[in-house]
Amino acid sequence: MSAVVPEVEVPASEDVLAVTEDVWMALLGDDAPLLPRTVAPGAPFDVAAWSAATTISGGWQGVVTVELDEALARRLTMRMLALPADEQASDSDVADAVGELVNMVGGNVKSLMPGPSVLSLPAVAAGRAAFSSDSALACRVDLVWQDAPVRVSVHVPQEGPR
Amino acid sequence: MRAMIIDDSRAMRSILRRIVTDLDFETSEAEHGQAALDQMYAGVVPDVCLVDWNMPVMDGYTFITEVRANPEWRDVTLMMVTTESEQRQIVRALAAGAHEYVIKPFTPDAIVDKLSLLGLVPA
Amino acid sequence: MTTSTAFASVSALVRRETSMVYDEGKEYLVEARLNPLAAARGLGLEEYVARLAFDADERRKVVDALTINETSWFRDHTPYQAFTDAMLPALLERRQITRRLRIWSAACSSGQEAYSIAMLLDQHLPPGWSYEIVATDISTAMLERVRAGRYSQVEVNRGLPATSLVRYFTRVGRDWEITERLRERVTVKHLNLAAPYVGLGSFDVIWLRNVLIYFEAATKQDILRRMLPMLADDGYLLLGSSETTLDMPADLAAAWQREQIGRVPTYRRASAARSLTPSLTSTGA
Ligand SMILES: C[S@@+](CC[C@H](N)C(=O)[O-])C[C@H]1O[C@@H](n2cnc3c(N)ncnc32)[C@H](O)[C@@H]1O
Repeated sequence: MSAVVPEVEVPASEDVLAVTEDVWMALLGDDAPLLPRTVAPGAPFDVAAWSAATTISGGWQGVVTVELDEALARRLTMRMLALPADEQASDSDVADAVGELVNMVGGNVKSLMPGPSVLSLPAVAAGRAAFSSDSALACRVDLVWQDAPVRVSVHVPQEGPR
Repeated sequence: MRAMIIDDSRAMRSILRRIVTDLDFETSEAEHGQAALDQMYAGVVPDVCLVDWNMPVMDGYTFITEVRANPEWRDVTLMMVTTESEQRQIVRALAAGAHEYVIKPFTPDAIVDKLSLLGLVPA
Repeated sequence: MTTSTAFASVSALVRRETSMVYDEGKEYLVEARLNPLAAARGLGLEEYVARLAFDADERRKVVDALTINETSWFRDHTPYQAFTDAMLPALLERRQITRRLRIWSAACSSGQEAYSIAMLLDQHLPPGWSYEIVATDISTAMLERVRAGRYSQVEVNRGLPATSLVRYFTRVGRDWEITERLRERVTVKHLNLAAPYVGLGSFDVIWLRNVLIYFEAATKQDILRRMLPMLADDGYLLLGSSETTLDMPADLAAAWQREQIGRVPTYRRASAARSLTPSLTSTGA
């Protein structure tokens, strides 16, 4: 975990993990567990990925990002849209589903931080997330679901809240 | 019974649609509050709206305020289904006229339970 | 110890301590629930089970792990509606002098039944009235939950009206905590329904829901017989929606008079005047 300006309040990784598990359970059920994944600190997300971010601003400032493996993003989308196995999720379907995923995680993270704050609409991209250089990693959770990696990270402004 | 599902995510609309279709609701959908209002002005008035909070164009909170401002829609039941989960947001939504509130993420049972609390499906 | 003797010994233990019947065919469930306990002790499942005979603490954990605690707010709705619409007005009429109601949530699980009742009483009891809800269960882990009065987002999302959520709960981290005002009305006690009921007093309404289903016929009958003197003459007993006294021996079925309130069957003491003498030898199920 990289250095954070001490005065900025950051979410506990335990809470971020619990929120992610709740979202997972609701979307994918409990037929397979989300397991922790050991990743070296500072290592970028290492697989072909989808990423989605939502910004919290107001009483607390931060960005919540979800990155996930390509195959997993497609399975999640198929599941959410209840597409039959022989059909393909389009890229726009995947963007939509992954956006809703980060919306749920982000909204719940927001509720754990000082408020009132607003949650932005999700921004979704095919590929790894790009983090702005004036933000610092506050918390990161690496998980794996049926061999497919997922990462949730929370960044806060480097300078602390204005 | 007719349900209107108002959410900017297609995937979320699809999840909600399956839950209420299983309860024999007919459904219509809108991707934001304004689109939903347009449909209602055009005569598609549901028994219940399942409405997200954060959406482009018109958010769910504004939508609820607009629906409550029109006496012709007095009988429309409004249920928020949103990731906004601060106590203060729930209080605001109820004060604006929402009847029920489901926090995302939810399991299908949560939606069914709330609809039956509202007397829209048999317990 | 083989897996099947381990299962037999666990099911005998659960039977002895809770009267719950764990039939063959439930091996997978026992295994899934006990494996983490065994692992926490660094033992294999069979070794762990062998240890139970000498370790009361671990036995308690096994009981906690194997009880089925499924519950929800205002479970099935209609009993709660019958409570507010019919039972409560009748009791308000009849308790004018004492202005006090006592309710028993027997097999309370995490307390959602007890607190659902507390919310209704908070809304419907006239000023000057008081009430006590006694919440009992065999699982100490569940009783801790009732005392804490804290529920997860997933739990408050199900069946709890949003108006009650904001009125009676405060958000604490990821959980929601029930207000002190209701928590102080709920008395939490450890109680095995198959053992004698002592020091509880009598109740105006007894909620005995979704627990008899786990017992065999003899235990059910014994419990229903011993419930009779626990209920005020004009009180009400409520069972789960799949539970009934109809399949009981004639004398017991007759002692509990079924009174339908809307769609909800309630049970009342038949002619309390010739009330049955409470059986003194009825604890061995
Ligand atoms: C399915 S829950 C029912 C909870 C609640 N009454 C309801 O209807 O939602 C059953 C509860 O019975 C408890 N239980 C099982 N055997 C018991 C016994 N012998 N004495 C007391 N409680 C028991 C379990 O611990 C569990 O919490």
